[in-house]
Amino acid sequence: MSGVSNTITNKEKFDRGQIEVDYITKSFDSDAGNILALDGINLEVVPQEFITLVGRSGCGKSTLLRCIGGLISPSTGTIKISGQVVTEPHPQIGYVFQQAVLLPWRTVEENVLLPFEVKGNPTDKEKHKVSEVLEIVGLSDYANHRPGELSGGMQQRVSVSRALVTEPSILLMDEPFGALDAQTREDMNIELLRIWEVAKTTIVFVTHDIGEALFLSDRVVLMSARPGKVHDIIEVNSPRPRTFDQVENDPAFWKMRQRIREALH
Amino acid sequence: MTIEINQIDGDTKEKGSIITNLSSQKLLGQFLVLVTPFLFLLIWHLIAAGTTPLILPSPYDVFMRLVSYFINGRVWPHLFMTTQEILAGFVLGSVLGIGFGTLVSESDIARKVIMPYIIVTQALPKFALAPMLVIWFGFGMAPKVIIAALIAFFPLVENTYMGLTTTPQPQLELFRALRASRITTLLKLRIPHAVPAIFSGFRVALMLSLVGAVVAEYVGANQGLGALIIVSQGTLDTELMFVAFVILTVLGLCLDWLYGLVYKIVLVKLYGKTIDDVSSSTTRLSV
Repeated sequence: MSGVSNTITNKEKFDRGQIEVDYITKSFDSDAGNILALDGINLEVVPQEFITLVGRSGCGKSTLLRCIGGLISPSTGTIKISGQVVTEPHPQIGYVFQQAVLLPWRTVEENVLLPFEVKGNPTDKEKHKVSEVLEIVGLSDYANHRPGELSGGMQQRVSVSRALVTEPSILLMDEPFGALDAQTREDMNIELLRIWEVAKTTIVFVTHDIGEALFLSDRVVLMSARPGKVHDIIEVNSPRPRTFDQVENDPAFWKMRQRIREALH
Repeated sequence: MTIEINQIDGDTKEKGSIITNLSSQKLLGQFLVLVTPFLFLLIWHLIAAGTTPLILPSPYDVFMRLVSYFINGRVWPHLFMTTQEILAGFVLGSVLGIGFGTLVSESDIARKVIMPYIIVTQALPKFALAPMLVIWFGFGMAPKVIIAALIAFFPLVENTYMGLTTTPQPQLELFRALRASRITTLLKLRIPHAVPAIFSGFRVALMLSLVGAVVAEYVGANQGLGALIIVSQGTLDTELMFVAFVILTVLGLCLDWLYGLVYKIVLVKLYGKTIDDVSSSTTRLSV
């Protein structure tokens, strides 16, 4: 008996953080008629995988992410998170948006506490978790500052903290560093990988920057536009830790880069 | 060498003259700021000297009357009455305005049912109701409070509705992703976001309450600054009328100052000390 229940727990453990996208389509009604944004997307993301969705604007990569996040529902097909069909935002998901989306009337600490407050009265343990996460992203000294006093990079770090604080098994990130300057973006990428290794979450990361995708991910999902389809999936086999220099100059990366470029044009 | 020296010389000269230009302009500005009120009083005095006190009393006479009015204490009942009417009307109108504003922003049905009536109430000239309200409620405070509240009501309905329905889409999406309930989204997101808009409604409402109370007093009142104006009209006491004008103006300024103070305290509490537009938005005049 105990052996059976053990296998179940193990299976659950294995499923936690798994995403199955099963042949979904998504169409929007617009003045110009029905627009097919996603057309037959199949994708399986294994637990603790770092996957990036890459494509030109309008290829539906954000739409796919929003479907996975349960913010919109696909027109046909199903998405499963850790084995459960998605009908609304899944509690195991942390979402990082394109903008930091911080509430200007709350301090950094209060912003990170928000996910707990939304559920009910935050416990001491949860409050402690907030300072722990702020420690990890290096914002402890700014806990009592307002978002308006922080730089763009720091604001986005607060937003990442807010997504991490509930210890999600899946982190969905929609071009989170797109608005930052190149240097800050590289710093954030390095930091994100560090957090990913500690937090052991699955990450689905949307970007249109090929270098960023190659630096970060285990697999790059290339999407093509109108209608949005998965064009190709590229395994990035290069061992970690990687450097940006490597991503730019290493022949292996250069080949992958070439392959992505060709696919996108 | 000589050329260089000349150039340097010329540069410093030019800079010097710019500086003197700037400071002389600044001085002129300060001078005008100080002198304009006296100029205004002088012109008033000269015109008053050319006419009778019945048409235009001199500023000196008005001032002395004002002082004696305060010293003999006859001003207080009027001042208290009008202030009470303004504040009661403001509070009543604000509470109702915020309530209805929240209701119409929360419920589509409520908006469809209630909004037409609110718009009709707004289109109706409220002062036209004053005589009827006097018939219904007599010469006491009630009709004035009602008129003041009716006028204060609309800016708050409108600003509350506007504030609650303009929550940025990304923030709403965040709350959806956090699986927030509707009431949580209202309390933790939409209301805090609406606070600045509601406050600018307060400002308009406060000034309109003053107008409402005074005009309602014109129609029928025993006490109040509006009643004082009507009495002084009846007795051809222009001086007293001017005294009432001055008190009303100062009362309006005091109320606006008080509003600014509360607004600043609330906004600093909400947004921290660094927000810059606190002062700039309180100086924006919205009446």
